[in-house]
Amino acid sequence: MADETTPQTPAPSEAPESAPEAPASTPPSASVGRPHSSGGGQGQGQGRPGGPRPAGGMKRGKRNYPRKKKVCRFCSDKVDLIDYKKVDVLQSFVQDRGKILPRRITGTCAKHQRWLMVAIKRARNIALMPFATEM
Amino acid sequence: MEERVYDLIFICRPDTPEEEIDKLINTLGHTAAEKGARFEKVDKWGVKKLAYHVKKLRQGAYIYISLRSSNGGLILELERRLKVTDAVIKYQTIRMDEELKRQEKLGRRREVRAARRPRRTTPAPAAAEPGATAVSTAGQAAGK
Repeated sequence: MADETTPQTPAPSEAPESAPEAPASTPPSASVGRPHSSGGGQGQGQGRPGGPRPAGGMKRGKRNYPRKKKVCRFCSDKVDLIDYKKVDVLQSFVQDRGKILPRRITGTCAKHQRWLMVAIKRARNIALMPFATEM
Repeated sequence: MEERVYDLIFICRPDTPEEEIDKLINTLGHTAAEKGARFEKVDKWGVKKLAYHVKKLRQGAYIYISLRSSNGGLILELERRLKVTDAVIKYQTIRMDEELKRQEKLGRRREVRAARRPRRTTPAPAAAEPGATAVSTAGQAAGK
């Protein structure tokens, strides 16, 4: 109960002076902590530990910005055959050192990644692409 | 035996004279003709930079040949010839017919699918309707 009064008292008094502090202090005391139980110390023992956790989860959720969905470039271009001779196409699917980029980064679908892998390996074999770039 | 398509690429030393390369291609062509095969396409890509050192060389003259053969022994013979030729530093033969067949099949299937289900523009009228109703209600409200 003591800590309930302390954040509230400075908030109205100092509201005109420090506006950004007031909204930051109010949400945890008002929304989450109180409805479960009135007693501060006992409330934590009675209320399940699930009480404080959603707050943390929400915070993490806030940080999760909507990610743009990657689409397989070969699927959108309707490619039925990945040519190992077209090095400029393959080059965009390897790292600078010549490693093949994983699907989770390029967004290539499983089928096309499989074909791409074969094509890159063929190109490597005939010295069109590097196995590993020497620095 | 059914015919197969192969891609044959070999790399010559960059200082190899053009006539020698042509002669080599001709002899390979003759060997192929003897075995009942034919070169579909012969492409000289010219001197290119190699991605890595091959026989201590940084550059090489690429020659690409697409051939059609029903005799697998021909590939052995061609590769043997390339191996003994000093000017050739690297070669690779790839069987392409299965992939080309797959490409053809997928292309055909795509065409069939496109013909069966023509693209309709359903979202356009759906989007237009709410706008139209909103305009009409707004007009009624204005009238009242």
